Amino acid sequence: MIFITGPLYSGKRAVAKQMLGCDDAELEARCVCDAQELAREREDVEALADELSRCDAVIAAEVGGGVVPLDPAERAARERAGRLACLLAQRAETVVRVFCGIPKTIKGKEK
Amino acid sequence: MTILVAGGAASGKSAYAEEILCKLSGGAPRIYLATMQPFGAEAAARIAKHRAQRAGRGFQTIECYVNLEAADVPHGSVVLLEDVGNLCANELYDPSGSGEGAADAVVRGVEALQRRCRALVIVSNETASGGMDYAGDTARYLRVLGEVNQRLAALADGVCEVACGIAEYYKGEEPR
Repeated sequence: MIFITGPLYSGKRAVAKQMLGCDDAELEARCVCDAQELAREREDVEALADELSRCDAVIAAEVGGGVVPLDPAERAARERAGRLACLLAQRAETVVRVFCGIPKTIKGKEK
Repeated sequence: MTILVAGGAASGKSAYAEEILCKLSGGAPRIYLATMQPFGAEAAARIAKHRAQRAGRGFQTIECYVNLEAADVPHGSVVLLEDVGNLCANELYDPSGSGEGAADAVVRGVEALQRRCRALVIVSNETASGGMDYAGDTARYLRVLGEVNQRLAALADGVCEVACGIAEYYKGEEPR
């Protein structure tokens, strides 16, 4: 599994399509996008990470860079999203961080 | 030669951008393209801080809040554009800005600068790693700035992220 992360609107999907050599339709079948949103609903992020690691690629936006949210539900969601990203990175052969549309491999071999 | 320097608030991106611009300038005139509208005491203090930082480096300041394409920048100069986050906000929200056409206006402006100047260093902001839980129109602003950052990165020879004053290159390398 390739784990692709980076800020919101940084071009993560375009990088995923390029790395998998696929179009939008195929991406939907092979890659889970916005995994940080899935973490919102799930207490068991370990099990979620195990499920997601069976995909060809997983994309999650970095959401932990701001001030701690006032809303407790938002705080919990942000914690889980960060935890999930760490678990996905552990399970991935390759981790890519995208910045301004440019991918950088931060774990594994350059693809 | 165009370098895009992005980073979080107070990451040292501005000082780093000035440093590489000075390296690139040779004998060419140095232009500081200022984008922040001087509204209120906080903006004035920020502008004063950046002016002090640039003092003695021989920059000529040109103010440009919207419509960067029309900025009267001398041919053959070296330009520090600071910053894209302000420019996007001005284009989106100022009555004289281009509203929905904000991203295109900023990108067109940078292309125009690239044609005129010898070297261009662009300071931009990384604001989109703090989630989406914002009031009002902030999500639209993040989307526009994200799009502009990607398009400017494609136009640039070098792209780096500054953290704690240290630049990490994603594209190209630091000018020597």
